[in-house]
Amino acid sequence: MKKHIIFAVLSLWTSAALATGTQYSMRVDGLACPFCAYGIEKGFIKTEGVKSVDIDLKNGLVIVETEDGKTFSEDQLKKIINDTGFTMKSMTEKKR
Amino acid sequence: MKIRKGNKHNIGAVLFLTTASTSIFAHDPNFGIGPHVLFKNGIETALETQINQSAAQNTNIIGYQMTYGITGNWSAGATLPYSERKNDTQISTGMSDIKLFTKYRFWRLDSLGVQESAAIMFAANLNNGDSTTKPPLGNGANDLVTGLTYGYESIKWYRWSSIRYRYNGENNAGRRLGNKTLIDFVAGWRPVTPEYKKPDTVWLLELNTEITENNTINGNKVATSGGVESFITPGIFWTYRNFAIKSGLQLPVYRNLNNAQNKSNFRLKTTFEWHM
Repeated sequence: MKKHIIFAVLSLWTSAALATGTQYSMRVDGLACPFCAYGIEKGFIKTEGVKSVDIDLKNGLVIVETEDGKTFSEDQLKKIINDTGFTMKSMTEKKR
Repeated sequence: MKIRKGNKHNIGAVLFLTTASTSIFAHDPNFGIGPHVLFKNGIETALETQINQSAAQNTNIIGYQMTYGITGNWSAGATLPYSERKNDTQISTGMSDIKLFTKYRFWRLDSLGVQESAAIMFAANLNNGDSTTKPPLGNGANDLVTGLTYGYESIKWYRWSSIRYRYNGENNAGRRLGNKTLIDFVAGWRPVTPEYKKPDTVWLLELNTEITENNTINGNKVATSGGVESFITPGIFWTYRNFAIKSGLQLPVYRNLNNAQNKSNFRLKTTFEWHM
């Protein structure tokens, strides 16, 4: 019985851990105005699996949070940023 | 060659067509052009109003424009203008020449809070506007515009420069408006550091110069046409999220026109833009 309880708890913990989304923090160059930066928000929001987008113009940061289980490669993020007319310099990611 | 007064006024009326909008783009100057293009698959829709007041005639235009971002560096679109033209005794209203345009940004250098870029543009003015009304709503010919522009945009300062050349076609009556070279220098200043999702204001100051060749009728130069005019244009660009309003008032500061011509008093342009 005890084994069964431990197994159930572990299963729940594992599936919860696997289901977390990811937060990508990207340093983006060329961001000089909020109106132009709207293209970045639009570019990400229409991408499947993106939950939210925030932009810090002063520090050139674009922060994207994904839905549970969704991840992007660095090349995918670079392409989205490039298609909106800007340049991604670097990126960090962390699980939420 | 001399022309009749009526013809002179008609030519003067369509001259305004040659100075009317040559494609508007987000965060570009009001009367000059800049290298801005749209994001890939983005749609920009804009409503532009323009008032041109001169000694002998007034022109009011309302134009609807739609632009599409083909790639992150290449946009294309069309402008549908509706005009009202008045001189001392006559008035015409209706569609004026439709404009098709495209712009390609061939160079971009991004750094933190700064974007420098350069673009080329092409535009074609169709001859759908009625050239038989008095004053005419179109010049009765297809015209081509090509241009080159550079822009520096930062969190605080902006500067643009551009040159455009407009080649005007000849209409069925053998009349051709003088080709035109437009040279623009623009500076912009943002007094408050912008924040995403908050309103943003940029003040603009443009110096616009127009060098116009003589009009011709059946190949003969019209003496009372052509010359050089320079304008100074204070303006503003206000945005909130994906909505923008920009406006500029163009005032003549230098004029060296060939013989007696109708002179501009001012041109006022206001544009409302949405990015979708």
